[in-house]
Amino acid sequence: MAETPQTFSESWYRIANQQIALRQGINVRRQNFRGERWIILENPFSNQFFRLTPAAYEFVARLRRDRTVAEIWKECMERFPDIAPGQEQVIQLLSQLYYANLLQYSDAADSAQLFERYQRMKQRETQSRWLNIMFMRFPLLDPDIFLNKTIGFVGKLINPIGALIWAMVVGWALKLAFDNWSMLKAQSEGVLAPQNLPLLYLGLVFVKSLHEFGHAYFCKKYGGEVHVMGVLIMIFTPTPYVDATSSWSFRSRKQRILVGAAGMIVELFVAAIAMMVWANSSRGVVHNLCYNIVFVASVSTVLFNLNPLLRFDGYYILSDLLDIPNLSQRSTRHLRHLFERYIFGIRKSESPSNSNSEKAWFTVFGISSGIYRVFVFGRILLFVADRLLLIGIIMAVVCAISWICVPVVKYVKYLASDPILDRHRVRAVAITAGLAAVLIVLLDVIPFPRHFRASGVVEAKVYSHEVNGAAGFMSRLVALPGSQVKAGDTLAVFSNPELELELAASKANRTETQARLLQAMGHETANIKPLSSKLDSVEKRISRINVELASLTLRARQNGFWVAPSIEEGLGRWFAKGTSMGLIVDPGSFEFVATVLQDDVDQLFANTNSLAQVRIIGQADTALSASNFRKIPAETRKLPSPALGWTGGGDIPVAKQDSQGQHAAEPFFQVRADIQSTGDVALLHGRTGKVRFDLEPEPLFTRGIRKMRQLLQKRYQI
Amino acid sequence: MTATPSQEYRRVHHETATTLHKGLDARVNSFVGRYHRRAKVLQELQAEAERIDSQAKRWSEMSDQQLSEHLREFRMQFRRGGKEAKQSIGEALAAIREVSDRKVGLRPFPTQLAGALALHRGFLAEMATGEGKTLVAGLAAVLAGWTRRPCHIITVNDYLVRRDEEWIKPIYQFCGVSVGYVTGDMKPAERRKEYGFDVTYTTSKEALADFLRDRLQMGAMVNPTRQLLRTMLSPQNSVTDGLVMRGLDTAIVDEADSILIDEAVTPLIISAPRQNEELREASVIANEIVSELEPGIDYESDTRYRETRLTTAGIEKLQKRCESYSGLWRGQDRRIDLIRQALMAREFFVNGKQYVLQNGRVVIVDEFTGRPMPQRSWRQGLHQAVEAKEGLTLTDPAETIARLSFQRYFRLYRRLSGMTGTAREASEEFWQIYKLPVVRIPTNKPCIRQQWPDQIFADEATKFEVIAQDVERLHQTGRPILIGTRNVTTSERVASLLDQRGLSYHLLNATRLQEEANIIARAGEKNQITIATNMAGRGTDIKLGTGMAEIGGLHVIATERHESGRVDRQLFGRSGRQGDPGSAQAFVSLEDELLRRYLNSILLKQTAAMLRGHFPAWQAATKTAFGIAQRNAQQIAYKQRTAVLKMDSWLDEALSFAGAPIA
Repeated sequence: MAETPQTFSESWYRIANQQIALRQGINVRRQNFRGERWIILENPFSNQFFRLTPAAYEFVARLRRDRTVAEIWKECMERFPDIAPGQEQVIQLLSQLYYANLLQYSDAADSAQLFERYQRMKQRETQSRWLNIMFMRFPLLDPDIFLNKTIGFVGKLINPIGALIWAMVVGWALKLAFDNWSMLKAQSEGVLAPQNLPLLYLGLVFVKSLHEFGHAYFCKKYGGEVHVMGVLIMIFTPTPYVDATSSWSFRSRKQRILVGAAGMIVELFVAAIAMMVWANSSRGVVHNLCYNIVFVASVSTVLFNLNPLLRFDGYYILSDLLDIPNLSQRSTRHLRHLFERYIFGIRKSESPSNSNSEKAWFTVFGISSGIYRVFVFGRILLFVADRLLLIGIIMAVVCAISWICVPVVKYVKYLASDPILDRHRVRAVAITAGLAAVLIVLLDVIPFPRHFRASGVVEAKVYSHEVNGAAGFMSRLVALPGSQVKAGDTLAVFSNPELELELAASKANRTETQARLLQAMGHETANIKPLSSKLDSVEKRISRINVELASLTLRARQNGFWVAPSIEEGLGRWFAKGTSMGLIVDPGSFEFVATVLQDDVDQLFANTNSLAQVRIIGQADTALSASNFRKIPAETRKLPSPALGWTGGGDIPVAKQDSQGQHAAEPFFQVRADIQSTGDVALLHGRTGKVRFDLEPEPLFTRGIRKMRQLLQKRYQI
Repeated sequence: MTATPSQEYRRVHHETATTLHKGLDARVNSFVGRYHRRAKVLQELQAEAERIDSQAKRWSEMSDQQLSEHLREFRMQFRRGGKEAKQSIGEALAAIREVSDRKVGLRPFPTQLAGALALHRGFLAEMATGEGKTLVAGLAAVLAGWTRRPCHIITVNDYLVRRDEEWIKPIYQFCGVSVGYVTGDMKPAERRKEYGFDVTYTTSKEALADFLRDRLQMGAMVNPTRQLLRTMLSPQNSVTDGLVMRGLDTAIVDEADSILIDEAVTPLIISAPRQNEELREASVIANEIVSELEPGIDYESDTRYRETRLTTAGIEKLQKRCESYSGLWRGQDRRIDLIRQALMAREFFVNGKQYVLQNGRVVIVDEFTGRPMPQRSWRQGLHQAVEAKEGLTLTDPAETIARLSFQRYFRLYRRLSGMTGTAREASEEFWQIYKLPVVRIPTNKPCIRQQWPDQIFADEATKFEVIAQDVERLHQTGRPILIGTRNVTTSERVASLLDQRGLSYHLLNATRLQEEANIIARAGEKNQITIATNMAGRGTDIKLGTGMAEIGGLHVIATERHESGRVDRQLFGRSGRQGDPGSAQAFVSLEDELLRRYLNSILLKQTAAMLRGHFPAWQAATKTAFGIAQRNAQQIAYKQRTAVLKMDSWLDEALSFAGAPIA
């Protein structure tokens, strides 16, 4: 049971004889939310809103300067005994109306309090502005005069015919986008390049200005007021904004939604036109500008405006679609309620929801928007920090304050002094301490199994490159590739006619030299010495040629499989001496060569007894155990196989300059390990795979800190 | 006598109470407070008192004529104020001391001089019972009175107001300070006269009520500047003529802990009965319905927080039951509220404890003094609910016209100081709320009271039995005995036990103040047994009868521990005053209300088990249990007090459209 407000209040005397009334010029409208009737009061001067239940409005509507609050209360009690507010509720109600500046009262008000209140409000505003560093608003001017002058013309466009034209234009642009999809995609790569940023920003300001005017005109069209226009500094990017909140008091839900969507309607229209220009122009400034407009209008619309999880247009549209005003605050309150009710066991805690479906929406919205916000802001932080390190750090500090310190401090305060916890404080503190302890134990004490993966390639432990010993044409293939050979088996036969000719020539030369030597023995003894040395050299050449001729037959140097993938294409072709014809691989022993990146290597080297499993790509279901690690303590950049690099379809970044795709962008270390083939997995030399190293367990926190540091080090050289 | 503009201004002006510090500010402020309470403060006060003491000879040799001339000089100095006055404080005090000696025959001890200095400098002086606080206040008030700014000396009841004023009057007269007093029975004209004197003795209740009535008369003209301009421009329209007070400047609060802390949040309400037929009817019906509800099934009650909660079954029952009624009973919130009040009346308001029946009326009993307060009533509806429960004719509900808590009121004085026997437990609160640093003035003679160890029992019946035996045993030695109880019911219970044993005693129960003080004053005589609720007769010393010191002095028995250790100490402090011998002992049981209300039920069970099994260290365990219960009680009470203050500030802000608050 919730706390029932007291019928009689001890403070009643303070307002009982007051003669107050609603301020003049307050707009009162009825709205239905999820089938319930509410009364909306709008103060047109401050654009403040106030939502009342019909019962409360019955009271408020009767307030007049010539009657006292006590009289009115009495009348209400008599006329609506079942719904009339109690004295305590009346005090609450009047104070809220007063805070919303909706009351008119005698001039004897406590002016000191007024000033104090004003100062506190200003202070809070400034505070929240700086804490919300990603979205700072600075109101600048009142666009009312301009809007009034132009609404006559622009307003005419807002009608079903306008909608039809809009649909046609946007539809056509969509078709164009579809047709030119590949070009659109290609150009998107350069959109965040430094030289494009000015154009992008220009496009952004242009599109967003029109977007904001869209809101303004739609709001005006349906009878709202637009008095504030200013600059919103969104992630350090000044963009315009207008305040169209007066649309919240529109009775028609459709109109409220339209005003919320107006920005996007205009934006899409502009993007559609830009798309047409882009598609029909050749490269140049106009072409690029149009592209940027299209980019801004589509990406920002999806990421920010349309997304209901951040508090932009989409949020308000969703809020109207669901018929739940103040969706965000109330979901936060609802989550808090859930926490209080079910974890702290506070039965007094009340949900702000009026129905079960609202409860469901609050829960879903609260949780998903929380997660999404952290995600988006985290990405933005990294993005900004990438470009502007100093600002990134400032932002990170501010965000840490507003998302971690402030909530923690608030929570501690809540634990320490919130009256709702009065009887449950011990439990609440105990649970919080328990949760914190569990978290600490989980993060900082309990070691979690740890592993990392590295890609690598299977290599036969024993293999030999078969190289032809002499140049020649391949004339015959003896051993077929893939067949098993023994050492000394002929693999292929080459022929080299030149070599044979040379042999013949050399032999002739020898005969001649021998003849001349005999002759010299008889006549010119002085010639014996040079001739015999010439004979020697000729002999040597002959024996060399013979060796080479023998080498024309390629023989296996070891037992194993003859691996020569494309050797058949070489039949009849000339091969220079020393060309690798193929491999002979010993199928008995393979090893896995893993490429371990710097970040992981120290842990691997520190962990002496690490285990590892290898999974070969394509056969990831079977794990092969690896043993006998050999960590090669020197960094290298040359990949053992191009298949590991990006260009070869692997996952290791390769240097851009390297056309071979075998030069890694980041140095790595090689770790070799023996692997045993099981029946299912055919180990083949050159197959790529992934190795998973199991390291010694370590608590998550220590690990997180290291990762964070590595990230900072890598990105910002800190 | 026409007032000077500055006097006219001060009539309406009061200090703007600073908002309470929150969060980190409060921490910092707490350190500032600790600095103000540092040991050196007392050393300086004592050194100065010694210096004043050393001048004694010079003043005692003077003739009355010379002394009074000097005093006139001091008076002029103090009226002018400034540096001169500050420098001559020591001399002036020495002179006033001499006057005290000559006119009332009391020569203030150096400790009393130190106390007077502390009061003058805005401290809260902790002085044990019997150390002559009344005289200390008098000394400080002379200094304040000389300035002609209004000085109020606040005590706890009318009797003390009259007695103190009468007692110290000769000193004031000789020093050229006019003095008066205000008690509850005075008419406005009289009050105006009495407040017109330099120094006025009064109770907190009268002071606050007069202040509120003055404010009501001023209406919207609470801004002193506007008020002054208006009075000067059109004297015939001045509203200040009807005011009884001269404004708020200096206050010296006696028994400061009870006035500034224990009773501080009870607001003083100026109200007028207003006919409300509907509420009367509703109260009768609510009482009928409640008698049909069953505890545990239809509603649950929580003794610790004094709250009841209807269960779902109860709400359904209520709904069915109310179908035939109209008006207030038609709204769900309305009827639950009405029923809740009736349940409160039934569950937590007990005849003889919270109220008594006198002449067919419900009279609220002050839980602290055990005294009926005929003019008090509970808030709208609750009072009627209790009346309906008792089957009385219902009175018209009182409608509030103005309301202010004592806490807020005392924050409005420019110079606040106070005295009490027990302050240090609450020194943090005194600082945070009133900016009063506590300084502990040592006793003139060392205290030789024996504190006997607490007697602990599992149940109440045994406890009272042993108390009665103890009383009988001690009574045979002839020692005077004071039995302090928590409320009237306990007093009567003890009385009937003593009756059974044929012991004669004095029972202090809600009789007239004068008589009460007389009984208490005689409680130190031979063979006296006095039973009193713990606050009864405060401010009156128990002087030992002749020959009593030799046989051990007064023995004090506490029948229970109180929510606050301060109250315990006050009770014990009634014996062993001014270096007299004495003894004190507390009797507690695990069934005491303190434990039932403020100790976690699991802890209570554990303690009980230890007690029954006489586990090792069970005594220490029970002691800790009582300590925890007292701490819990203090914390809850402190929270309630700050919550009241916060709520008031919120209302001031939220309802500031209804004009400036009364203060």
